[in-house]
Amino acid sequence: MRLRLLPWLGLLLMGFAPISGLASPPEQLRAEAEETARLLAKLLQSGRLVIEHHQTVIDDPHRGDKGFTPEFFEQQLREEFRQRTGIDLASLSQKPVTFGVPPLARELLPALIEASKEVVRDAQVVINQRGIGYKNFIPATYGSQAAARFSKRSHVQLKQTAIQPRNPKNEADEYESSVLRWLSGRPNGEAYVSELTESGKTLRVMMPIYYLQECLACHGEPKGEWDISGYPREGAREGDLAGAISVRIPLDPKSP
Amino acid sequence: MAVPDGRALLMCMLRITHIAFRVSLVCLLAVLVQGCGLLFDAIELIHPLTSNELDRVCRRQQVQVGMAVEPFRPFVFPAVWTDEGARVTGLDAELIRSITDALTAHCGTPVVPVLHLVRFRDLFLLLNEGQLDFFVSAVAPGIPSPARAGFAYSSPYFFHGGIGAIVKRPDVADQIQSRLKADGTARERLLDGLTMAVQESTAAHLYAEANLKPVRLIVCDSLPAAFEQADSATGQPIDVVIGEQPVLEFMVKTTRRDWRLVTREGNTPLRFTQADYSIVLAEESYKLRWFINQVIFQLTESGRLQTMRQRWLEDSYAYPRRASTEGLSFDVAKMVAHYDQGTCRESKTR
Repeated sequence: MRLRLLPWLGLLLMGFAPISGLASPPEQLRAEAEETARLLAKLLQSGRLVIEHHQTVIDDPHRGDKGFTPEFFEQQLREEFRQRTGIDLASLSQKPVTFGVPPLARELLPALIEASKEVVRDAQVVINQRGIGYKNFIPATYGSQAAARFSKRSHVQLKQTAIQPRNPKNEADEYESSVLRWLSGRPNGEAYVSELTESGKTLRVMMPIYYLQECLACHGEPKGEWDISGYPREGAREGDLAGAISVRIPLDPKSP
Repeated sequence: MAVPDGRALLMCMLRITHIAFRVSLVCLLAVLVQGCGLLFDAIELIHPLTSNELDRVCRRQQVQVGMAVEPFRPFVFPAVWTDEGARVTGLDAELIRSITDALTAHCGTPVVPVLHLVRFRDLFLLLNEGQLDFFVSAVAPGIPSPARAGFAYSSPYFFHGGIGAIVKRPDVADQIQSRLKADGTARERLLDGLTMAVQESTAAHLYAEANLKPVRLIVCDSLPAAFEQADSATGQPIDVVIGEQPVLEFMVKTTRRDWRLVTREGNTPLRFTQADYSIVLAEESYKLRWFINQVIFQLTESGRLQTMRQRWLEDSYAYPRRASTEGLSFDVAKMVAHYDQGTCRESKTR
């Protein structure tokens, strides 16, 4: 199971966080929450990749209507997610609960899709401007908005974070900082970090994001020189840790 | 009961007198009604019967502001997407924020700007229809044209603007320069025989229609459309683009480095008019105009206006970052769907 791809990673962090493991909720509850968090992070990551793959179209100054509609985006998002997880969201409702996708994820994944579509819908006026090239509709700005809209309507908190984020709202909290520092010293992979915090009341999952070749136009060399959006480049290389998608799920249903 | 004859006659006369009185009263009222508007105006001057537009803004906690969707860099940049959603930024956006902050302080409750990003030519229309409290888009007051009648302007917030020109081809630049050097060439004759592009309904368009007769005038929906037309191999070639000089100067410095400003001797920009830029309001928005004038005065006196000018016109920056940190959100539903920079066509009035 992908959930257990790197069990040692979770264990390592469990040992290094002082508050973890004080009061374990039933194992099944935790496993479901963990899988839900993992799938939510994967879905947000898939959305970011869809934007990435269509960046040239979005930034084409010669075309007005780009055809990058919420419906088109949803279709691409489902396909990207299917490729990355093997889960076909379209047929999820027809599959039995035993299929492997926890009930919480069945409820929350469509909500994240809806929030993502809303972002694309609201961005239509920006995307479809003709005569304007760069529009700042990029994976990061899509991800921030989709995560914020989803979190507002859900008890699950979803966020993009980094050690030195460009957007101050994505500033890592103490827990996220410690995980990011830990991750930055390790080779990249499909691993994610999962841990119980707040005396076992909250499950926190962090899915790392690594720089792809396409990201380096803005985040690569020369370090410190402004990119097209006006931020100093980070001097990153392909495969470096860019940040993480952080998911926070309260395990106590009564907690906010 | 029977009534004596004399009394019946008296009653009848009284009735007639009463009817005559009523008729006279109606006639008198009919005459007076014509002057009612004046009467109400006079009373309102002494004691306002209805609340003014400033009170209305406070009550709504919103101020309806118009801005041109066509970019007038650095006054208005193209709308971009940010971590907070769609945002627009520029000198005019910063000015709107300052006015809104002052309105919040005045009203004692938060006042938010509801931004309408619409085509420049529609701004005057929306203001006329009462859909906007005011609009800001590098507009020069006092343009002598019927299209600009019936509007009021604030104190200027930007000085030393006016209409300037840019060219791409060196031979066109040389031609204009040689005309400039020749004594006695009137400003209106400098561009004779050239093909010139302007953005529709702007001061440059109105100026060209009124003063630059022997030129071939191409009217474009936006400045980017004029550049696109000039770059196109198939369309009509464009020799000169005229428009607001600070906007053109900013463009040749940043996005259109292949064009250059037409200058006079000493490398000072050639201008066809001199103008300051003001906020546009409805003629009867007296209270709001007083208020905005006061805000502009305070911004001038504190040096803030100068700082704004410096940071938008002279500093080095990329606007998407500024849009992320200080941009204004706008009413997406009211923005023209699929904003298109539009096209150009030859002026029909020539």
